[in-house]
Amino acid sequence: MIDFRFEIIIEYLPFFMKGMLWTIMMSLIGVLMGTILGFFIALGKMLPSKLLRLPFIWYINFFRGTPLLVQLFLFHFAVLPAILDSVNPIVSVVVTLSLNSAAYVAEIFRAGIQSIDRGQAEAAHSLGMNKIQVMRYVILPQAFRRMIPPLGNEFIVLLKDSSLGAIIAAPELLYWGRAATGQYYRVWEPYLTVALIYLILTLTLTYLLNYVERRFATT
Amino acid sequence: MISVKNLKKSFGDLEVLKDINVEIKPKEVVVVIGPSGSGKSTFLRCLNLIESITGGSVEIEGKDITAKKTDINKLRAEVGMVFQQFNLFPHKTVIENITLPMMTVRKWKKEAAIQKAKELLDKVGLKEKADVYPDSLSGGQKQRVAIARALGMEPKVMLFDEPTSALDPEMVGEVLEVMKQLALEGMTMVVVTHEMGFAREVGDRVLFMDEGYIVEENEPQALFGNPQHERTQAFLSKVL
Repeated sequence: MIDFRFEIIIEYLPFFMKGMLWTIMMSLIGVLMGTILGFFIALGKMLPSKLLRLPFIWYINFFRGTPLLVQLFLFHFAVLPAILDSVNPIVSVVVTLSLNSAAYVAEIFRAGIQSIDRGQAEAAHSLGMNKIQVMRYVILPQAFRRMIPPLGNEFIVLLKDSSLGAIIAAPELLYWGRAATGQYYRVWEPYLTVALIYLILTLTLTYLLNYVERRFATT
Repeated sequence: MISVKNLKKSFGDLEVLKDINVEIKPKEVVVVIGPSGSGKSTFLRCLNLIESITGGSVEIEGKDITAKKTDINKLRAEVGMVFQQFNLFPHKTVIENITLPMMTVRKWKKEAAIQKAKELLDKVGLKEKADVYPDSLSGGQKQRVAIARALGMEPKVMLFDEPTSALDPEMVGEVLEVMKQLALEGMTMVVVTHEMGFAREVGDRVLFMDEGYIVEENEPQALFGNPQHERTQAFLSKVL
């Protein structure tokens, strides 16, 4: 560690910054899409009919039960090439992250919704509210408050998981760390720097989520 | 007003309501008493289909509530319900609790809903609590808000499911007072309760339920003073 070569970090800093922006961008889209999709999968998994629930159950089983890296390969090398004319690694990462996090978010939604006392829905229904109104005005606002901590946890995991994009040459943060390592045959300088940047990103996210949690707690 | 014929309700193999028949007239206050597990709460919950019906029929103002063409949400808006556990929406202020269903179900404009909600809060004696959250209210206050919320829909019937059973004794009176006022104004009410004093004073008719049947029904003086059925006698000797 004596001969820690800072000049490598300095040289690659612009690339790390660029990679960081891609990491942030891919994670943001992943979180957004994952949350929207996850909500509907959660609703699907709570359908009264066992048969109709089945596809949603197996969606979650598949995406939670197989390695994310394998899913990424599957989408990048097989599924997306079959649908799109040209495959872009960024798109592959975003799609895989969205679909994968949707599975986890679905379970967070389901737990949140089912944690709300039955009496709340009964009271709302007894006032004549329809199912959508009950969900929108009574259940979800209360469930969402309880979902913030596990959702935050999921977002942090997703941010770090986006680093798997490096394997399929998506130019995100870890990709540039690997590039620097490849050029200089030095491990510590690039990887520790990359790790530090991930740490800064996740810490920022943690503080942001704490703030959101506090705000929701007081209203 | 309400006509119940051969009403049956089962949860799986458990038959909770076996054969309920009763007619409730407009402006009548019917009090339902009976031991726990007798099916009185389930009976009440069937009247606005919070509990689905296994057999028989319930008609409200001549409309069969289980008929396919009946708009269940519209029906429920006409039938107010007050729960043992209040079930106020904790994320909404007191006045929002009342205005939310008025605006979403009755499509009232916000200003009009607030105006009406304030009148209702005044009526239940909680005008000054409009902007607090339910958390900061006592049990009795919560239940009065819940009554105001149900009244906001301008229901034709009010169902009360043990409205004072979760309250500290000193708060029972304030809730019963509001209910008494409602009865005097001519509201049709079905009240499941253990408050025999209320049944005697306010009730037009008392139904005694046991094991899924209405065992005996009569005017309060007659039922309490001279119960005909053995099981009614046994129950009343324990609670009076």
